[in-house]
Amino acid sequence: MSWQVKTMAERTGDLLPGSPWTAVLYVLLTILAVTAFVTLCGLVLIYAERKVSAHFQCRLGPMRVGWHGLLQTIADTIKLLLKEDIVPRDADALLHILAPVLSFAGMLLVMIALPMSPSIQVADMNIGVLYVTAVSGLGVLGILLGGWSSNNKWSLLGAMRAGAQIISYEVSATLALLVVVLFAGTLQLSGIVQSQETGWWIWRAHGCGIVAFSIFMIAGTAEINRTPFDLAEGESELTAGFHTEYSGLRFSFFFLSEFLNMFVLAAMASTLFLGGWMPLHVGHFTVFNGIMDLLPPGLWFTLKTSAVIFLIMWFRWTFPRLRVDQLMRLEWKILLPIGFVNLFVSAACVVTGFYFFAG
Amino acid sequence: MLASVFPTLVFYLLAAISLSLAWSVVTGRRILRAAVSLMGVLAASAGLYLLLDSPFLAGVQVLVYVGGIVVLLVFAVMLTRTTELLEDHPTRGRQLIGAVVALTFFGLSYCMMTAPAFADRALSALPKNDVAAIGRALLDTGENGYALPFEVVSLLLLAAMIGGIVIARKPAALSKPEVHNG
Repeated sequence: MSWQVKTMAERTGDLLPGSPWTAVLYVLLTILAVTAFVTLCGLVLIYAERKVSAHFQCRLGPMRVGWHGLLQTIADTIKLLLKEDIVPRDADALLHILAPVLSFAGMLLVMIALPMSPSIQVADMNIGVLYVTAVSGLGVLGILLGGWSSNNKWSLLGAMRAGAQIISYEVSATLALLVVVLFAGTLQLSGIVQSQETGWWIWRAHGCGIVAFSIFMIAGTAEINRTPFDLAEGESELTAGFHTEYSGLRFSFFFLSEFLNMFVLAAMASTLFLGGWMPLHVGHFTVFNGIMDLLPPGLWFTLKTSAVIFLIMWFRWTFPRLRVDQLMRLEWKILLPIGFVNLFVSAACVVTGFYFFAG
Repeated sequence: MLASVFPTLVFYLLAAISLSLAWSVVTGRRILRAAVSLMGVLAASAGLYLLLDSPFLAGVQVLVYVGGIVVLLVFAVMLTRTTELLEDHPTRGRQLIGAVVALTFFGLSYCMMTAPAFADRALSALPKNDVAAIGRALLDTGENGYALPFEVVSLLLLAAMIGGIVIARKPAALSKPEVHNG
């Protein structure tokens, strides 16, 4: 069974020669769909986080607004939007306003490249993996500027910690990405998904895949500033870190991009290591593969991404926060050497064709 | 008609954006705003690369300059106190040096680009626009390969890295034994 990848950008291109206005309408609809998806995804993730954390701590979580507290997030959102919007008096107002926008833009631009199913992907770039790593760098700039422009010592400290942490862990995350790029032989995200038709890279690349996946998950969790790496906003020492001075809509931009970055990380992990929208296939066992194909690709993507998101939430409610020196040691003395060795070993595997279902 | 006008329009838009932002980088008095403007300039040049049909170069531009250099710059600015960086009136000598450097750079790049050898060389050695081709050209030791420049740049970066470590190392750490607490 072969998969036809058709992106929104390609469909727009098809519409363009016939009637430009239909193409414009299609682009507008795509933008609307992405915005709606981001909002809905944020609501669901925040609700899930509250419920998961509650059950990890033997609580029930939100229960009163709607059935099992389903409308709680919506009520909180409305409250957040109605709050007063404050810019500190001595702050650099322009940068203060720009920072959350940059952070949000970094997340949103990555969202464009994610292959959610053969038919749901906004743009399928040849340089997909490079694009994702490049564009997600905008987020850290938003955090740094937000902390600096707040004119507050806690914010500044939080931003510095976030900056140092993200720059450091980006190296390991990229090394882990490169392993998959080596095996798949392409940077294109849909190409990487299609290269997993005989099996997901996490096990087809035997040891290398598992090590790369673990490194990617650890470094990714650090890059999105979640516990156990949430030193940037450690509430016990820095109140709320870089977004201490933010309120209302601007705070919600930071908040939403933080949660959606979790989705982006999970989606990238499942695309690279768990086959993305590709159903669970084992080599050339046609019968088994046929049964697995009964589920639509979009559902596979959703299931895998949700599983990874649950894993990230599990991290958060299980591990204590690291100290700054532990954080730096973990990256530079443990993860980075393992990442380099892993990259060399996988290069050797690719060259010798020593992996499952090669060629 | 639309297809031919559109890239020109985008080019002038990007050029205008980079020029105005570059102007604000140089004239702006607040250093962090200048850094943000610099980010805009670099992003606009990534756009120009896209217009020239080299998405890989554009991606690397964003990855290295926007995600790396500007972030490090902002980081360095945050480590220093802002009052030290406010320099309203540079001295005459500094202005002179700045002018000389700028003029020399302009003259050099003008001579380079108008030299016929440069144009020929640039076109013939251009790798095909595809990541694999660029990778092969980078490690190619042959006629049009870039192995030597690549290695020289790596050596330069290594030297810079070692220099950075030497500068950052505390002199006390050489004599005093390390103290472990806890």
